[in-house]
Amino acid sequence: MTPPRRPVPVPDERSAPYWAAAADGLLVIARCSRCRAFSHPPDVTCPHCGHTDPAFVFEPVSGRGIVRTWTVVRQSFLAGFEDDLPFVLVDVELAEQPDLRIVGRLVDGPEVGLRVGDPVVVSFEQVAEGVAVPSFALAGDR
Amino acid sequence: MTGSFAAANRVAIVGYAQSEIRRHAPRSLGALTLETARRAIADAGLAVGQIDGFTTGALFPSSGAHAIADGVTTVTSNWLAQHLGVNPRWAAGFQGFGQIPGSVAMAVNAVASGAADYVLLHRALHNPRASYHANPMAEARDTQQWVVPQGYFGPLAMIALPYMEYLQRFGAKREAMAAVLVEARRNGARIPWSHWHDRPLTAEEYLAAPELVDPICRYDCDIPVDGAAVFVFTSADRARDLPHRPVYVSGYSFGSPTTWRLPTHWPLDDIMTTGFETARRLWEHAGIGPGDVDLPQVYDGFSPFVWFWLEVLGFCPVGEAHRFVEDGGIDSDRPGALPALSGGGALGNGRMHGVPQMLECYLQLSRRAGARQRGQASVGVACHSSPHFGGAVVYSAQPN
Repeated sequence: MTPPRRPVPVPDERSAPYWAAAADGLLVIARCSRCRAFSHPPDVTCPHCGHTDPAFVFEPVSGRGIVRTWTVVRQSFLAGFEDDLPFVLVDVELAEQPDLRIVGRLVDGPEVGLRVGDPVVVSFEQVAEGVAVPSFALAGDR
Repeated sequence: MTGSFAAANRVAIVGYAQSEIRRHAPRSLGALTLETARRAIADAGLAVGQIDGFTTGALFPSSGAHAIADGVTTVTSNWLAQHLGVNPRWAAGFQGFGQIPGSVAMAVNAVASGAADYVLLHRALHNPRASYHANPMAEARDTQQWVVPQGYFGPLAMIALPYMEYLQRFGAKREAMAAVLVEARRNGARIPWSHWHDRPLTAEEYLAAPELVDPICRYDCDIPVDGAAVFVFTSADRARDLPHRPVYVSGYSFGSPTTWRLPTHWPLDDIMTTGFETARRLWEHAGIGPGDVDLPQVYDGFSPFVWFWLEVLGFCPVGEAHRFVEDGGIDSDRPGALPALSGGGALGNGRMHGVPQMLECYLQLSRRAGARQRGQASVGVACHSSPHFGGAVVYSAQPN
């Protein structure tokens, strides 16, 4: 019996460009067409200017950011992560905008002596055919 | 516009019942709640037919894939009214976080406005036989698609991130949390209905438990249980004719952050910034300050909440709760300390949400705590959930 695979994202009308770009190894973040502020993920309205028709457009970002906090997951409540335990989740503030946050796995693992403020850069994990999930790696200039 | 509560001390708790708190009750949650409700009504010196209002917060706080069934995994106001055989004038449920202060506010408002004369507030919590939070989903949709594919899931990761942020920011160590667990479990061990009755925890046992989602270990999480608690509210005027000393509601407050986040994303700054506003509103609503409180009961469903609440309520400076607690600041057996977990909390009773905090305020202020009675406490605060999404209620032993 094969172990369960990790859960895969199911793109919807709003998220489809994000997952399509991730599959190509590109991090894109939704940007409000009215106030130009980034949001992750895009809400039904713009959380910055309040516009009810924000016409979000996903734009490529640098993928660079800093670690605001982290945790080491040693027991997962989700199926499919058994072989990955323990793994690190980092709460990353992206360089493009204050408080623009995205939580992802840190591919360097739990033994790196992480500190708040450590710089990271996006990387991608292939979780299924044509499906990639953004993660992060410590940046060389740490 | 003033933030003081127009109905302060005009509505009171006049009776209660608390079920045994067990990992798995021998009966359905509905049966347990119905029996507890009948006992609470009798305790208040009332007949079932006099109850004309019902409220609760019926959330089943699991991230697992459990079906929600009224009377089985949860109990709503309407379920309880129907099974008591009452067609109430008013029945409603609280939708937000902080179900206990939320439903207390609804009960108080209903009595104060005349929507109902005698309101039953209940909270029923269920522990399913299958794993509480495990979820076998293979596909992540809607908001889950933004977190689940990278393994970011469930309440332990939700609290672990701000807890780690606190440790890093203030140079705190998770070893300091042992004092919280020892305090909660020592007090819970003294409570006959607690899951942890007669089972205190030592600091050594706490520190020997492996971390599950760093820095969280199993003891930092309240244990899932079956249990029900019911309180009866009426006006201060009607309370005079009832058998027990009333405990008055002086005010309440809630937080609701304006920064939109994914549901499990709770940055420390969100918790504290909105939490300070929750506390400011609370003092303004009740017309008191932290110095007036002799029975604070902070929420502890996850242990770091104890530090967060102590700081936002002003019982110790920001960044110092870990030291305050480690130095015996909340040791309820030490004269002059703040008895912030004297009722055992959720860590010392089981996952009854904010019930242990509310119940301790009621029992102590009504002088019904028996062997645990702590002198003549006059003002209590019962907190629930996180300071930024939850709430708190001020209780008073005196009507003015």
